[in-house]
This record gives sequence, C-alpha cells and structure tokens, in this order.
Amino acid sequence: MDQSVAIQETLEKEENCITAVQCDILFDKITESRLLGLVESAKEHAIFIYTHRRMAITADDVSLEDIIPVSLDFAIVEVSSPEELAVVGADTRVRVSYRDEELELRLPFGSNSRLFLSEVNRAWSEVCKSPIQKPKFEWINKYTNAIRGHGVVKQTIAPLGIRNIKLNQHLETEKSLDKKGDLERENGSNSGTQKSRVYSSVESRGIPNRDDRDDLVRSSSHTPSNKAQILTMPQFGLRDNLIRCELLKNEELYTYLENYSFFLGTYNVNGQTPKESLRPWLSCTLDPPDIYCVGFQELDLSKEAFFFNDTPKELEWMQAVSEALHPDAKYALVKLVRLVGIMLIFYVKKEHAEFISDVEAETVGTGIMGRMGNKGAVAIRFRFHHSDICVVNSHLAAHIEEYERRNQDYKDICSRLQFRQLDPTQPPFTIMKHNVVLWIGDLNYRISDLDVDDVKELISKKDFETLHSFDQLKRQIDKEAVFDGFVEGEIHFQPTYKYDTGSDMWDTSEKCRVPAWCDRILWKGKNIKQKHYQSHMALKTSDHKPVSSVLVIGIKRINGETYKKTFEEIVRNIDKMENECIPSVTLSKREFDFKDVKFMQHQAETLSLFNDGQVPCQFEFIQKPNESTYCKPWLTANPPKGFIAQGGSVDIELEVFVNCSTAPELNLGKQQIEEILVLHLERGKDYFISVTGNYLPSCYGTSIHLLCQLREPIQDMPQETLRELAEMSGDENAENSEKPLDIPKELWMMVDHLFRNAVKQEDIFQQPGLRSELAEIMDCLDTGIPDSLPGSNHSVAEALLLFLDALPEPVVPYCFYQQCLESCSSASQCERVISMLPQCHQNVFNYLAAFLRELLKNSASNRLDVNILATTFASLLLRSPTKQDFAEKRKTREFFQHFLTQGSS
Amino acid sequence: MAKQYDVLFRLLLLGDSGVGKTCLLCRFTDNEFHPSHISTIGVDFKMKTLVIDGIKVRIQIWDTAGQERYQTITKQYYRRAQGIFLVYDITSERSFQHIMKWASDVDEYAPDKVQKILVGNKSDEVDKRQVATEQGIKLAEAYGMDFFETSAFTNHNITETFTRLAEQVLAANKKDLDLLWMSINDEFNLAALEEEEGLCDSVTGDQRKGCWC
Ligand SMILES: Nc1nc2c(ncn2[C@@H]2O[C@H](COP(=O)(O)OP(=O)(O)O)[C@@H](O)[C@H]2O)c(=O)[nH]1
Ligand SMILES: [Mg+2]
Repeated sequence: MDQSVAIQETLEKEENCITAVQCDILFDKITESRLLGLVESAKEHAIFIYTHRRMAITADDVSLEDIIPVSLDFAIVEVSSPEELAVVGADTRVRVSYRDEELELRLPFGSNSRLFLSEVNRAWSEVCKSPIQKPKFEWINKYTNAIRGHGVVKQTIAPLGIRNIKLNQHLETEKSLDKKGDLERENGSNSGTQKSRVYSSVESRGIPNRDDRDDLVRSSSHTPSNKAQILTMPQFGLRDNLIRCELLKNEELYTYLENYSFFLGTYNVNGQTPKESLRPWLSCTLDPPDIYCVGFQELDLSKEAFFFNDTPKELEWMQAVSEALHPDAKYALVKLVRLVGIMLIFYVKKEHAEFISDVEAETVGTGIMGRMGNKGAVAIRFRFHHSDICVVNSHLAAHIEEYERRNQDYKDICSRLQFRQLDPTQPPFTIMKHNVVLWIGDLNYRISDLDVDDVKELISKKDFETLHSFDQLKRQIDKEAVFDGFVEGEIHFQPTYKYDTGSDMWDTSEKCRVPAWCDRILWKGKNIKQKHYQSHMALKTSDHKPVSSVLVIGIKRINGETYKKTFEEIVRNIDKMENECIPSVTLSKREFDFKDVKFMQHQAETLSLFNDGQVPCQFEFIQKPNESTYCKPWLTANPPKGFIAQGGSVDIELEVFVNCSTAPELNLGKQQIEEILVLHLERGKDYFISVTGNYLPSCYGTSIHLLCQLREPIQDMPQETLRELAEMSGDENAENSEKPLDIPKELWMMVDHLFRNAVKQEDIFQQPGLRSELAEIMDCLDTGIPDSLPGSNHSVAEALLLFLDALPEPVVPYCFYQQCLESCSSASQCERVISMLPQCHQNVFNYLAAFLRELLKNSASNRLDVNILATTFASLLLRSPTKQDFAEKRKTREFFQHFLTQGSS
Repeated sequence: MAKQYDVLFRLLLLGDSGVGKTCLLCRFTDNEFHPSHISTIGVDFKMKTLVIDGIKVRIQIWDTAGQERYQTITKQYYRRAQGIFLVYDITSERSFQHIMKWASDVDEYAPDKVQKILVGNKSDEVDKRQVATEQGIKLAEAYGMDFFETSAFTNHNITETFTRLAEQVLAANKKDLDLLWMSINDEFNLAALEEEEGLCDSVTGDQRKGCWC
C-alpha cells in the first residue's frame, strides 16, 4: 500500500513525497506507529513525520508532527544488535539524529523499508557531496511554524551526531555562521508524545522472538543461519555513509592545498579546418601549464555532422591542438568528448597523469527541439588528487534577443547533465557537485542597448569597462538569472565576435553584427586565481577570436598519514558511540543469601536495577540450557522482565518460597538453595546473579517411611543421615538397627493434641488456623521445642491437613490409587486394598480413620458429619498421580466413607 | 561491488579471574586502563571496527566472568564465538596452568573452526614474572596457536593481538563468507522481486534496484 499518496496531499505543488514507510518510533517507555515520508523540494530533502489514523489513504488520515531536514547535521545509522545481526527477515532499527536531537525507529522487514532507507541514504549522501552548495530548507519553515513546540524528536543525551566527535569542534564556529539561512527549529518538549500511556505497553514493544534470544545460550549446530551471524550486510550502507560524511567534514584535517595551473581555451571555429598554428593561443604562457582544457564550437556545420555526429574535423583540430601545446612539457591526452560541433579536449602534463582518476564525459543537446546537438554542452569530470573537477564547454542559443533562451539552456545543461557513478548505490554526479567547475564556451551573450557605432567607439577607446556594463551575461549574472555563484575575470580584450574571416575587421556583411563577447571563461569554486584572461587576435581562421585563461587552482591533496589518523579517529568515535549505546544497568547487589529458609515461609530481597546506560533498556531473566524456566521453582523474580527508561530504575523482588513440590528434595539435601540467574538486556550484556541460602529440613515434605525412622526431631539429624535413610527406604529388607516407629511421631503429636483438646471443638477442620501459629507448630514439630504443640486447635488441625498434603507419597500411595477407585463401592474390597499398603502407611491410615470416627461421635458439638470429613480427607489421603476429574473425586469420597462409618455399622 | 560487505565476528576473552581480560578489552576499544579490579560477573561486550585487506571487520568482543562457579553458564557462550583469546597472567603460574583447562573447555564447547590465540598478559610486571616467555611460546606451539605477551597497562601488543586473531578468523571464514554473501545477495534480489510486483510501474526500476546490495 503506497501511503505516500496521502502525504503528497498535504504538500505544496513543487514538493514531492518520494517514498513513505510506516514504522515504529521507540520512545522511552512506549512505541508508537508513525508514517514517515521522504519529501523533496528543489533538490533538498527532509523526513516528514506524521501521526496517522489507520492505513493512510487521504490527507485527512495524517497529521504532520515533525520534520527532520536531511542536512549536514543529519545522520542515520543502523542500530546493530548482537542478537539480531543479519537475521534475514528481521526488522531494521535505525537511529536518526539531527543536530542534538535523535529518534529511534523500527522499520518492518521488506522492500518498502529498504527502498525508504536507500532513498534517505541517497539524499543524505548527496548533501555530503555538495560542499559548495549548502541546503537552505526555506520551504520547510511554513510547516515548522505550525508544529513548533510539539515535535517528536527528543533532545538527546548522547547525540549520535557528529557533534561530540572532538576533532570536529574547531569547525563548529565556522559552521554556525553558515547556518543562518538554515531552518531554525525549537525542539519541542517531548511531553506531548510521552502522554499518559502506562507502563503496560512494554508487552507490545515486540520483545524479540524467543528463539532468537535463546540462541544466546542454545543453538549449536552449524546451520547456514548460524553462519549468517558472522556477516552483517551493509544493508543500507548507513554506517559507511556516516564515515564518508565525517571524512568530508573533516577534510581540512588531512588535506592540504597545492596550486596547479589550468589552461582553458575556447574557440568558435565557424566550421573551418585548421589553417594556421594554434601556438599563439595555446602556448602563450611562459611556463607550461599543468592541465589543458580546450573547447571548440561549430567544429563542423555540415549536415553529416549534425545528423550522424560524424566529422573528419575532430581529428584535424585535435592534431592542431596537440601540436600547439606548450613545447616545454610533455602532455598526455586524457579525454576527448564531442557533440556535433562542440568539442572538449583534456590534456594533462605527463607527471600528473597518475593522479587523475574517475574521468567521465557527458553531453547534453539543447538545440533544435531543445534536444539536438547543434547547441548544448559537453563536459568532462575528473578527480585530480582529492579534488573533483568538472569542465563544461557549451554553445548556447544565438541571436541578440534570445538571452533568456541562453539562461534556459544553462539551466537545462545543469539539470540534465549527469555523470554516472561506478558505485550504483551512489546518486549520479551533477555539475554542481564538484569542488571546482570550469565553464567555457561560446555563451553567445551580446551587447544590448548600444548601437554598432557606439560599441565600436567604446572599443576604439578601449573603454571595456563601460562596454561590459552593457554585456548581457554580466547583466544576467548580476540579476542572478544565470551562472549563479560563478566568477569571471575582468575583460581587458576587445569583443571576440564578429570578424570577417581571415582578418581583424569587424563584420562587414549585410547583417553588420554588433561586436560581442560571445566567448567566455567562468569558474566556480574555492582557491582559484586567474593569471590571465585574453583573446588572441593573431588567429584569423574563424569569424571568432579564440580566448584563453590560465587559472591557478588550489587542489586538495591528501596527507596519507593524517588521513589514516582521521579515518581511524572517525571509526573509533563511531565505535565508541556504538559502545555507549549498548544498554547497561548497575545492580544493587550481585549475590543474595537467604538464611534458614523454611517450608512455606516466604522470604524476599530486593534487587534494584539502575539504567546507567545511554539508552532505554529492556531486561529479562533468561533460561539456561536444558532448563525450561529461568530459575528453580522455589525462586521467583518479580517482575521477571520489564523496561527501564534511561536513568530510571526498577526494583525486582527475589522471592524464595518452598512449597510441597519443592520441599522433598530440599529436605534430603538432594537440592540446595543455590541458583544463578541470568539477567539479559536486549541488545546488551548479561549479568549473573547468584542466589544462595540454607534450607532447614522439615517433616513437611518428608516421606512417612523416613519419618518413622526418626526418633529425634528432623532438624537434629545430620543431612547425610537423612539422605542415607531415604535411600535405604526403598529397600524393605535393609538391615535396620532400630525398629521403626509405627507412625511418624509428628503425626502422633498433632492427632494426640487434637484428640485431647479438640474433639468437641466447633467447626474443627472447617475453620482455618493462624499463619503465625502454623509456623510455630511446624518449628515445634521439626525442632522438638517447645515440648508440646503451641497454637489453637484450628491451627493444629490445619497443620495436620498441610502435613498430609505435603507428603511426597500420599498415605494411600499412588500405585494403589487406581485399585481404590475400582473397589470404592464395596467396603470389604476397600479394606482389602488398605491391608496391602506398606506397614507404616497402613498404620497411618488406620490411625487417622480411628481418630476421625472418634470426632464423629461428637458431631453434636463439633458439627462435623461423615460427608464433610470424607470430602476433606479423601482428597489428601488418596491423591491422583495425574489430574483428578469429578467422577474420581466422588469415588475417593465413597472409598473413604466406608472407613468413617465402620464403627457404627 | 561483490566484495563490498562488512563482516562481523565474535571474539571471546577467556582465562582465570584477575588475569586482565577486562583491562585488555578496555585498552583495545577505549584506549583506557583502569587499575581497579571489579570482577566481571556476567558477560559484557564491546564493538570495534578494524580494516583488514580493505574489508571493514567489525568485531564484537565478549568479556566473560572467570570465576569457577559461573563456568557452566559461560561455556554456553563459547559456541557463538569465531575466535577465542586464552589469557593468562605472567605473574601467576596458576593462571598459566589453568590454560589447559580453558583450552579443553574450548575444544568441548566452541565450534570446531574456532581460532585461538594465547595471551600472556601483564608483561610490564617484570619483577613478579612467574611464567617465562619460553613457556608461553612452547605451550602455544603445542596447541598450534599464535602467542603474544601483552600489557594492558603499557598498551604493549594490544592492537597486534586483537588484529591477529581477527585476521585468522577472517582467513578461516573467507570461503564461507564469499559463498554466503553470494547466496544472500540472491535471496535478497529474489525477495525484492517478489515484493515488488505491482510496484514496478511506479518505481523507475534499475537505478533503485542497485542500491539494495
Ligand atoms: N601491571 C598490570 N596489571 C594489569 C594488567 N592488566 C590488568 N591488570 C590488573 O589486573 C587486575 C585484574 O584485571 P581485570 O581486567 O579486572 O581481570 P579479569 O578478571 O581477567 O577481567 C586489575 O587490578 C588490573 O589493574 C597489565 O597489563 N599490567
Ligand atoms: Mg573481568
């Protein structure tokens, strides 16, 4: 779905939404969807950020929130993540910064995002490449006034930009002067967007797929995807661009200027063949120039040349030039380009040839129908050392009244002439993208508002200054209508057009043209000085006189050593920036020790995480290999995952709680209170948190069999003894020095206590006990202190129920459970099953049943009945090894009822 | 064009606690040295970009907790590494002896192709030296590894060591990388084509397609 249409509707005519993409903006606490459009106007680009209602179809669906100009202060980098590297199909995260502000975006995987990023990238590299044309962004102002104060881009604390790169600082002052025309923007407080959204949106932040993350501690096989981890693609070359941009901005640090002389010559030869030596023109300097750029117009006026672009004169004139070059040096022909009669030849002194590179030539016709080659331009671009140079030779529209047509030709040439780039990811080079532009040719501008006689009069007085003030080119440049930014030297030679061929006589034909400075040499760029600018009257072949100029141009050369240093510095800074963006937290404590952990007694300690990194972060306790959860079941971290804003903190409760299922192994010392938690930060480091402690064994969660062998309280027994006894318990015949107890003494203590104190207790087993008393009772059972059980009857009753519940093997062992269900309808059958139980289990069963029957005798006072007791105890004594359904429940009740009614029947 | 890719490697620092792993990392990435020893508990990493043979190699260096009790967990990180530094402290005979154990763990848990390099750190501590340079050389020879004595304190041999391992990893993976690069390129173009259907008209083709690689 192309949403750029909706954006386009909000824009002015000359503004163009190149591409749009829907993405998520990551704020400190929340993620919100936005529509981004890359908008172009007059070759300048900006990213428009819109809030949007739904899939945006019309302008009503979008509302402009902020604008980020793609200027030199702009930067975009991919935020890499160790887990998400080169995972094909992953979202792309990028950080966009402008001045001191920044924004983190998540773009969905797909061609749309790729297209968007590559277009942004292209726009950005274009900015980086145009050192002589600073974008002004005036067209944005009308929007920024409207959105002022509630932009979305937040003030950054760690500006990604370029600003904190130290080596750049000395340029800062100069830069800020340049920025006057720039858009001024208040950066809005971001309160508007943070809104009152709640913390809960953490879930929706799209925590990366578990599989990716677990890879951290899992994946091992050498699958292709595993290999893919070692490769990051320069998916959008963002990083490279940042480096390129930085290199450009710091050019002064590693380049120095060296002067070279450029000889520029232009000659309209009026279709003639060379009849005389060109030396008076091309070798007029004392010293041989370093570079020659020689341009011709009207090389061949024949139809063949016009239609087939084919002419023998190309060679003739080239030879004439070659022969006329300065005799004191050797020159190499680098390039020749011709469009019909417009030709440009480029020579370099032999010793400089190796420093010329990236030579390209192009032509543009602006003649008949605006396309044909009878008028137009040819151009050669090249790199000389570290400077990009473009030479244009043009022949613009003729006739005195056509100066606007000439202006238009100039504009057409500028916009249509593009040099291809070797690297197709880079935008094509236009003329103005070069450090130095040299423009020569028959520009055809005439003298206006003066009669032929007045002109000739001024010429004869050599008053070129006055004459020049009537020159169309001068006037058009002054009006900024053409050749914006170009410079021409003062003219101290008489007009070069129009002469009678073979003479120095002004045109004597019928038309009797007004003399004019048709043939000109202009330049644009820094560090250029004109040594001479003159015409050459000695040459008489044409109705024009040739013109020449020598420019001394400061060419940038690279100091290899400082370049390397600068490059490394930039890369180091980017690395540093990136390292600073790795999420990080400090932990209040790394080691937690829980003392004397007891059964069913909750202990907690607080772990505080403080986000000391430069970015918000997302944390989570992650699993270790071969473990299904992030920690042992007796431990929980609350919350186990979450989000911490930059500079914020979160308290995590580490809770230890031993319940029935975890107690058995801890009692026997088969497990310890020992755990290492792995706290993982998304895109960041892992922290290990160690949890230790000691567990006090308890009769709760200890088997009947083992308890029957303990004559002392369990906590008085060394843990090894417990383990040994437990290991022997499987073996019925094991030699045992002492006869075991009939039933566990702890059970006896509780039942006996209730028997003596609580048979008449109203609502016994119905009403809950007190937590605190329960803990005292357990302590008493496990330590033998005090001598008798503390607490109320209800508490003791609950302690008894809990004891039964905590038994690792229920009173009726699991293996008898099915049999019990099957025999539940017959009392005798039920008794038979019980008689088969291991002795100690049988004892416990009978003991409890007898006690409960005793209680029922007092039902008048304790208000118990068979039903209540059967329901309560059946579920504790007969536990299903799997899940119990309702029918089973009923059967267990029926089973146990036989034993409660035994006495009375 | 085909060669234009960045490579990312994971390198892992292993060795007893206190031998100077964290200091080596800090020196290499930030050119800083902090003498205080706060033992790493967990795994930490930093990024660094090197240019090797004209290829920008970005390395992610993982610093692990050296303590015994975390080793069952840290071992799980080995398998993600393409290169491993086995670090001992030249002032600690014990840390040198433990290299054997570290090396055997690496054999067990790290990928077969993993590149290793032996590092004897704290070479500035001349007076406290317990492990002679020759011992290091011998051990490295026995394992077929390169060997460097380094000092995070004086910045001796730091860049050399990291660069060497990165070079080795690059060389060891060169073939795979070239193949992978080609296949991913294909994959991408394919995906691009599929998604581009219906869009072709509005996008002026060629020019743009070029920029996805
Ligand atoms: N003299 C000297 N001391 C070092 C050097 N590298 C590390 N140290 C010291 O050794 C101790 C442990 O360093 P650390 O990097 O924390 O060791 P790690 O446990 O292996 O990460 C610190 O006190 C450092 O100051 C070194 O090259 N020379
Ligand atoms: Mg460390």
